[in-house]
Amino acid sequence: MVDMQITNTGNLGPMILQSLAPAMLYVPTPQMNYITVCDKVSMPTHGGTTCRFMRPRALQPPTIQLGNSGIDPPAQVPQRDIIDAQMAFFGTGCIINEQVILQDQEGVLAWVSDRLAVAMRQAEDLILRDYILSAASEINAGGGTNGDNPTNLGMSDFSLVATTLDTNNAYKFMSGIEGMDRYGTGPVRSAYFMLSSTELQTDFDGLVGSGFKSQWDYPTNASALPTEYGSAFNIRVLTSSEAPVARGASANGNDLYYNTVLGKQAITHINQDGYSMNLIYRDPYYSGMLAQNATLAVKFAQAQAITQDTAIRNLVSTRYSSLGGP
Amino acid sequence: MTEYSRMAKGKFTVTGNPVNAQIINLPFKPDYVEFINYTASASGSDNGVPNAHWDALMGQGVAVIDRFQAANQLTTDTVDTNGISTFEGGLSLQYGATQLVSTITKADPAVVTASAAHGLKSGDVVIFQNIYETTTTGMQQIAGIPFTVTVTGSTTFTIPWNTNQSNYTAYTFVAQATRATFKKVLYPYLYFPGTSFISAITTGTTTTIDTTDAHNFAVGQEVAFRIPTIWGTSQLNSLPNTTIPGSPIYGYVIAVTDYNTVVVNIDSTGYTAFNSNQLFASFPGEFFPQIVAVGDVNSGGVQISNGSVLYPPPYSVQIGTTRTNTINGPAIQGAYVNNTSQGFIIGPGVSEGDASAVLLGTAGDVIYWRAYLHDISLPQ
Repeated sequence: MVDMQITNTGNLGPMILQSLAPAMLYVPTPQMNYITVCDKVSMPTHGGTTCRFMRPRALQPPTIQLGNSGIDPPAQVPQRDIIDAQMAFFGTGCIINEQVILQDQEGVLAWVSDRLAVAMRQAEDLILRDYILSAASEINAGGGTNGDNPTNLGMSDFSLVATTLDTNNAYKFMSGIEGMDRYGTGPVRSAYFMLSSTELQTDFDGLVGSGFKSQWDYPTNASALPTEYGSAFNIRVLTSSEAPVARGASANGNDLYYNTVLGKQAITHINQDGYSMNLIYRDPYYSGMLAQNATLAVKFAQAQAITQDTAIRNLVSTRYSSLGGP
Repeated sequence: MTEYSRMAKGKFTVTGNPVNAQIINLPFKPDYVEFINYTASASGSDNGVPNAHWDALMGQGVAVIDRFQAANQLTTDTVDTNGISTFEGGLSLQYGATQLVSTITKADPAVVTASAAHGLKSGDVVIFQNIYETTTTGMQQIAGIPFTVTVTGSTTFTIPWNTNQSNYTAYTFVAQATRATFKKVLYPYLYFPGTSFISAITTGTTTTIDTTDAHNFAVGQEVAFRIPTIWGTSQLNSLPNTTIPGSPIYGYVIAVTDYNTVVVNIDSTGYTAFNSNQLFASFPGEFFPQIVAVGDVNSGGVQISNGSVLYPPPYSVQIGTTRTNTINGPAIQGAYVNNTSQGFIIGPGVSEGDASAVLLGTAGDVIYWRAYLHDISLPQ
């Protein structure tokens, strides 16, 4: 007698061994804060290579009385400051063989398009980030206690940089938030933005007892930005893992963090009319005599300028310790 | 050639003594580079390197060469360091390897001796860390400042700073717990003009500014100053303005002396003298004096038709007065410019078997190069 045979996946497996899960996994992507805080300007087509900004200078207020001579005071000559920025062009793409498009079980063209768009968006932000690094003046943090140059962030550093911008007549981004009768919350001052690294969040948490207010302790979160971590005096802090860190570059060889503090119109992002975010699909038909390869690409044009140098500072700091805040 | 490969060629004349590395900007990063030194080939002189080859699979900074071991007698050899390499300058805050400092002199300019061959060229930018002789002496005051180097030997270079002042102590490595180090800033001028740290100010009817690295300013450039009070000449700061309260004061550049010196139109007669003799003990939280690009006043910069070569691209000046063009099209000098780029570098390395055979030859040699990016490179 023959034993009863059970047909199982050991002796008769399914023809296809895999099934793609319905949702793609997320792609870790940094928060892009720099473009959020820029002014936006478009350069017209047929407008040359360079975008020009003009800022009139203040005229001297006539604080001396005319007297009774009947003679007019001398005229003033109006002056202006001119700020130029040269447009630059960027692009990247993928060459995708038709066999991939034909045989892959999901829409490769769709998700590659998505990734190209994100890459372009991230390039915009990184260019702005690095431009600010080179063009904005710096204040080294000195309010911390770690003995480095710069020190870790102390509350006095927030006060100093906000005071500097206030003295320079910079415009704040955000009006204040009035206090509400909600336990543990308190009012938030009108504020500039500071763009910081997520690696400094331990230091911010360590300053909560000294005056740093977590975003969760605002009377209302209605005006808080998605990346907003909290506020200190007249500064609201946005964090991103993309914020610039110079590894081992402080006086004592620790990591250096560039916290960009700015008011309105400090940085302007300029795009070219008709050339912002071109997503280009080219059918395999155009790729050679056998028409084997499709292309997907993205290109864009961008310039940037510090349009109010008095309204921006890089507050450069180290961390309290490599393990976190105080 | 197939559909997606890239090829480029060109020529240049070697400069410098010792020779300067040659940077070639391209719209791609090659995986194969070769060149012919026409001058060395024609002369056939001993130590000449008539041609060289490099493949990305060999690794960065090497080359395979022919060299003359005697007049008109060729042999083969390699260059193991400072040969041919590629670069991709798109993101800032990238640094070279950390190198050890043996000594920094108390001098003007300060002379740095590295513990081994530094591989730098004049015009490179470095930053220092941990430059203290004891816990209370040394020159930690200048740690973190980007300095343009002038190379004086394989292990030595100078930096544009006067350390021959009372508050500086010469650094010599003996047995300090943390040794002084430096590292090269790989891409210091991705965007310009920008902010530079100030090393000296000469006051007078006009004001002369020396910076620690290249300022990249053009005549007509409007500038602002951020000078902490302890550095002296804080009257140059753009605020406060006692004539028009709240309105910033700017100067503009009336002459560019060289890569790190400019003359500004501000009459600083009677201003407080600049003081770079900062206390060692004050380095935690120390601010550095800065000159900042703003724009142009009224004129709107130097137009391309104003006596310049037709349609020049913007350029940086990284050492001396030598211009290095960006890959951009024409622009108005003084405009904010993107200087990101990629391509390859032919370094000043020497033959492994004969240190007097230099990859780039000597100043005046004419070199024809070709660069490739292949469709297929095996193994992938």
